[in-house]
Amino acid sequence: MEFGWSAEDEAYRDELRAFIQDALPAGWRGYDQTDRPAYKAAAERFSRGMAERGWLTQNWPTEYGGGDCSAWRQCILTEELTPIGEPRGSQYMNVNWIGPAFMRFGTEEQKRYYLRRIAAGDIFWCQGFSEPDAGSDLASLRTRAVRVGDEYVVNGSKIWTSHVGVADYCFLLARTGEPDSRARGITVLIVPMDHPGFTRRNIASLAGDESHYEMFFDDMRVPVEWRLGEENQGWEVVRWALQYERVGTAQYQRAALQLSDVVGKAQDNGAFEDPEIRSRIGEAWATCRAARLLTYKVYDLREEGSPPTADSNLARVASTDALKGVAQLSRDVLGEEALEHDQAVDVIRNGGLAIAAGATEIQLDRIALDFLGLPRSR
Amino acid sequence: MRLNLTPEQQQVVDAVTSLLERHAGKDRAMQLVETGAYDLDLDARLIESGFHDLALMEGCGPLEAALAAYEVARNVGVSAFGGMALVAPMVLGEASAQPTLMATTQTGPVRLGGGDSVVLALDGDQVLAVDATVEDWDPVNRNRSGFPVARLKAQAWVRARRFGPGSAARLRDWWRVEIAITTAGLMRGALDLTVAYVVQRKQFGRPIGSFQAVQHRLARLAILTEGARWLALESAWAGARPDLAATAAAFATGAADHIVRECHQFHGAIGVTREYPLHLWTQRLLQVQQEMGGVAGHRRAAADLVFQDKAVLKLSVAPAV
Ligand SMILES: Cc1cc2nc3c(=O)[nH]c(=O)nc-3n(C[C@H](O)[C@H](O)[C@H](O)COP(=O)(O)OP(=O)(O)OC[C@H]3O[C@@H](n4cnc5c(N)ncnc54)[C@H](O)[C@@H]3O)c2cc1C
Repeated sequence: MEFGWSAEDEAYRDELRAFIQDALPAGWRGYDQTDRPAYKAAAERFSRGMAERGWLTQNWPTEYGGGDCSAWRQCILTEELTPIGEPRGSQYMNVNWIGPAFMRFGTEEQKRYYLRRIAAGDIFWCQGFSEPDAGSDLASLRTRAVRVGDEYVVNGSKIWTSHVGVADYCFLLARTGEPDSRARGITVLIVPMDHPGFTRRNIASLAGDESHYEMFFDDMRVPVEWRLGEENQGWEVVRWALQYERVGTAQYQRAALQLSDVVGKAQDNGAFEDPEIRSRIGEAWATCRAARLLTYKVYDLREEGSPPTADSNLARVASTDALKGVAQLSRDVLGEEALEHDQAVDVIRNGGLAIAAGATEIQLDRIALDFLGLPRSR
Repeated sequence: MRLNLTPEQQQVVDAVTSLLERHAGKDRAMQLVETGAYDLDLDARLIESGFHDLALMEGCGPLEAALAAYEVARNVGVSAFGGMALVAPMVLGEASAQPTLMATTQTGPVRLGGGDSVVLALDGDQVLAVDATVEDWDPVNRNRSGFPVARLKAQAWVRARRFGPGSAARLRDWWRVEIAITTAGLMRGALDLTVAYVVQRKQFGRPIGSFQAVQHRLARLAILTEGARWLALESAWAGARPDLAATAAAFATGAADHIVRECHQFHGAIGVTREYPLHLWTQRLLQVQQEMGGVAGHRRAAADLVFQDKAVLKLSVAPAV
């Protein structure tokens, strides 16, 4: 057990901070996503800059364009990028779970094609999982993919998909089994966003302009080679990917940065002198720190090469709780002044993370069953 | 960064756990609680195996001592092991083979007081240390649960040794680590007992632990319990760095409220009885929670220590990773 960073890791963090300072304006807190081409170009520029330094996929094996570094490098990277508003845009998903999904389930050809491009910072993804009637109960999804010769014919729709406006590819889940086959009949298809039969609609969202889209598939014809993994193996891919997704962004660190902004304001407006507020600041800080170590436990397992466990669910709930706590505290510190800021939106936006990647209740289910070993409710 | 135990640390944990299985645990604690006695026999065995000396032992350190202290608390040892194995070596520079107790003032109640022991008290920026004997104590609680508590008579403080300026800060920091690790261990013990209970107890023809309303609340306790443990271990590893020690104590003592309330709730009536052992953990949690300024005190200390440097707030990055 060792809670410190190695000198190399510390040095890397410093270099990374210097790079960020160089690449982004001081105090940068996220892109303006309303101008999509400009947003995408900026996120791409940033990602390629990281790729040139070998930082984008450094923890991948060298054969796939990585640097064979430890998983902790990715942890440091996310800790620096998530809080300020993720300058990689949706490319953060690539490194975290899309690339690894190809490594694990892809054909040699798919690996050759996609992994190099991901490592170079060239492509953006979106995650087409949720449907109007399949949210928490993802295994009930209904978007159909019917095999006709060497193609799948896809019909159906997805909803709440983030990053669609900038994505080059969709990581799509479709039903290939019988309608009631649930987890046994799902397949992953990789579909370019400009593919015929594929339309989309943006849904205005408090969580951000690129947060939510609806996607529709009308007799979209997908070559069989675009399938990732075997037919009906999709659930295995998803279960595995989601456990990584849950800790793919350093939300505890985002909460910590928001908290330090709050404390700055509390020191300016005198609220910091209030013992009750100071106590709540200490409480919020402790919550961020606990979520951090719970997340580190997940990286530790990843570093060991162990399969993901319920530790991801512990980390996720702890992190989203921390975010919610800080948003509430921020309002209380600002008082009426909060009306001038987007504080109310922040509360809702921070809360949205307790829904994405599995609602808190779903995470708690997993903890109850897998971590505590409690009996199933049904 | 490496969160799992080294083989050597695993050995320490295994060895201390096997000792505690034989010489501590709920049955033993239930006997002792009847008379309010301290477990000198347990101390003797821990000392015989050298566990009290882990913090200063070659190849070990305060982290190993904290790992052992966690197990002692989890197994409701009626021992001041945390004081002996963590606080004494790290504050006084030598391990203590006597029960080592901590006090915020010279007149306040002291956890596990009542017998021959070393008592360390905060006095301004200094530490006072007294070798106390049975005659020096006035017992204060006879409620037949929790740790025994007693108050030192004024006569004892006349013999106190005084440690130099700065020693109080060290005591405060290590005591917070001790509070954090003891609380984390007690939380784990209470949670384990409760999980076992809800799996076995049936109502409506099914285990009460299969109701989602129960499961989710227990899952939250698991998050708190694990979070408390990691923070406590980190603070021990970091040599009781003041901000980390305060953060760990703030998190653990704050979480203790939830554990106590929920574990009792899920036990129904049996949990409120003296015959059932849940109170062994929960009473102790509530006692430790009150020490040294309590939850709000630790939280404010964490806020002050983390954010005292205003420069931190001007950075575009979050503080102190
Ligand atoms: C900001 C954001 C970004 C997102 N991005 C994407 C994306 O890129 N791609 C994608 O595929 N999806 C995305 N989602 C969708 C997300 O995965 C779903 O919202 C989530 O799985 C919940 O599904 P739902 O919204 O249909 O809620 P429902 O499943 O209808 O659940 C509503 C609420 O009911 C409760 N609930 C549901 N089931 C249970 C249960 N079994 N036990 C107890 N309580 C329960 C929970 O409180 C839950 O929040 C995103 C969501 C958000 C908020």
